[in-house]
Amino acid sequence: MHLLIQAIILGVLTGGLYALMTSGLTLTFGTMRIINMAQGVFVVCGAYIAYTLFTYFTIDPFLSILISTPLMFAIGVTLQRFLLRPIRYDAHRLSLLMTWAMAIGIEGILSFVFGTDFRGIVTSYQNTSLTLFGYQFPLVRVLAFVLSLVVLVGMYLVLSRTKFGRAVRAVSQRESAAKLLGVNTDRTAALAFGVGAATAGAAGAMFGLVGSFDPASHYDLIGRLLAICVLGGLGSNAGAITGAVVLALSESLVQAELSPEWSSLPFYILLVVVLIVRPQGLFGVRSRGAI
Amino acid sequence: MRTRTRLARAALLPIVCLGVAACGTPASVASSGTTKGPLTIGISVSLTGDFSNTGKAAQLGYELWASQVNAKGGVLGRQVQLSFADDASSPTQVVTNYQNFITRDKVDLVFGPYSSLLTLAAAKVANRYGYAFVEGAGNGPSVFAAKLPNLIDAGPATAINGAQVWGDYILSLPADQRPKTAAYPSLDDPFSAPTAAALQKRFEAAGIKTVYSQIYPAETTSLGGVIAKVASTNPDMVVSGSQDADGWAQVQAMIQQKFNPKFLFMTNGPENPVDFPKNVGLANTEGIFTSDVWTYSAPIPGNTAFVSAYIAKFGGTPAQIDSTSAETYAVGQMIQAVAAKTGKIDNQTIISTLHQGSYQTVVGVVSVDQYGAPKGSQFLEEWLSGTLTIVYPSAIAEHAPVIPKPSWP
Repeated sequence: MHLLIQAIILGVLTGGLYALMTSGLTLTFGTMRIINMAQGVFVVCGAYIAYTLFTYFTIDPFLSILISTPLMFAIGVTLQRFLLRPIRYDAHRLSLLMTWAMAIGIEGILSFVFGTDFRGIVTSYQNTSLTLFGYQFPLVRVLAFVLSLVVLVGMYLVLSRTKFGRAVRAVSQRESAAKLLGVNTDRTAALAFGVGAATAGAAGAMFGLVGSFDPASHYDLIGRLLAICVLGGLGSNAGAITGAVVLALSESLVQAELSPEWSSLPFYILLVVVLIVRPQGLFGVRSRGAI
Repeated sequence: MRTRTRLARAALLPIVCLGVAACGTPASVASSGTTKGPLTIGISVSLTGDFSNTGKAAQLGYELWASQVNAKGGVLGRQVQLSFADDASSPTQVVTNYQNFITRDKVDLVFGPYSSLLTLAAAKVANRYGYAFVEGAGNGPSVFAAKLPNLIDAGPATAINGAQVWGDYILSLPADQRPKTAAYPSLDDPFSAPTAAALQKRFEAAGIKTVYSQIYPAETTSLGGVIAKVASTNPDMVVSGSQDADGWAQVQAMIQQKFNPKFLFMTNGPENPVDFPKNVGLANTEGIFTSDVWTYSAPIPGNTAFVSAYIAKFGGTPAQIDSTSAETYAVGQMIQAVAAKTGKIDNQTIISTLHQGSYQTVVGVVSVDQYGAPKGSQFLEEWLSGTLTIVYPSAIAEHAPVIPKPSWP
């Protein structure tokens, strides 16, 4: 029983981090109807920014988010403006290729600048754990989980309570109607892509704290992030959170209780079942405007 | 007339095809060794991907050897010209790289990459074309189980035999000091998992009870669940079948879950004197064991000169030299030994010569069986006061082993 609860704790904490990583992907799909294959490499970028700030300027990874988030936002807006906007006439088909090209290009730049060694952000509290009723709560995972919640709640408030949020929702529901109502859809799409990249920047700092990474780490990441999105329902924030927790929890439980060799299997079986029974995902809707 | 020309061309076509095909046969592709130009050597190295940290160390060893031998006039008067290609730690890419070296670049020789996973795939390609495959960093059991006649491992011991030094040490302890229970979390890798499994078999035969034995896939990003399970069984000893990044993750998870086994042996990871302390924290390395074929202080003939030359060329300190650099340097030494012994440097001579006799290298005396498996053993190292220290066998030990493992700081 102790092991089961410990595995659940670790799974839920890891799930929070995955949810943060996935939220940007969800936002981008919700507003622009494109699947951003570069979301994984944005996370890795965030990890390298945090690594650089920590290693050379001794800025704590949690504080570094104040720098990495706006930086990644600017990178996201720039990429959207110069690489995605020109292909908007056929975004559904071309965006997959374009964002994948972005991912490979950014990986190349990271390899050139940082080299291809595995890196880790080793802070003084890296291995600290909080003990509660005999269960271990690794501090970095707890902090990453809390940060994820803060960012996700913040995103929810922005989307539901602000003019920008209304514009995003309008664009996601029907772009042509939003345009007629005076929404600058190009600007909204660029900002949404920037916000997606910014969340990846924040998640990247946490990703670098909980494990080692190299420029090629995004290949593993993007597969998981897409699977989470599909399970939860593309474009749905609640779906992203649910999918992330289900993935991390199932992996942790199977690792601990059955065998690490089979740790990914239950999630993907569930994914297939959901796609058969409910193709739009757990929280997805068939019409637009899931955000 | 025109028809006859066409017929003649048509008749020539199969002959040309046969000729082209013949160029791909082993006898004609493998170098005769009689050329007087530079001695070209193709080597695939893992500059990116899972093995990139150690892959680069492999490249440094090769480069050091080439620069030294060239400064002394080359091999049989031929300057050594190394050609590297990145394999991204991929068994598919490594095959492409060696295909290119042999069929496109027509190099004289090929040397091995890093890891058993890549060595096996690459050695098969070399064998197909009749190339000798001398390598220093692929000694997992699957490499030798392939029974390739062209393969020679320039390390003193196979992975399984090498890691048996941990078994030798544990079973040399008085019964009341030996661990009673053991856990074996291992990476799904042709080096790591079989090495841990061989130790498990030996320990079980000696009465040490197995309480956990599982293999995790390479793409596992979090080992929290694995270590939670290991911790729940509370073993006296953990034998981790690990490589670099997953080894660091295991240590981190153990610390986070406040699990401190009395004995912690890891097949790979701790032998890297730079990356291991950097990624797990130097203070956390204390008392962790690993086995290796080389360390900067090992009493092996030529080792001091190797260490000095390495630092002169690449900088750093002796303790920062990765043993993989010494292993790949030894590959070059083996080739030099063939040239000195036979006056020839062609692939067939290398294969036939190195399968007999023994050769002094910077990693010790190397002697292999018919499938290139080395017959010697490794030594046991332990992180003590921030330094990787030889602790067993006692004849070459720099310090007595410290057991049980101290608590995490």
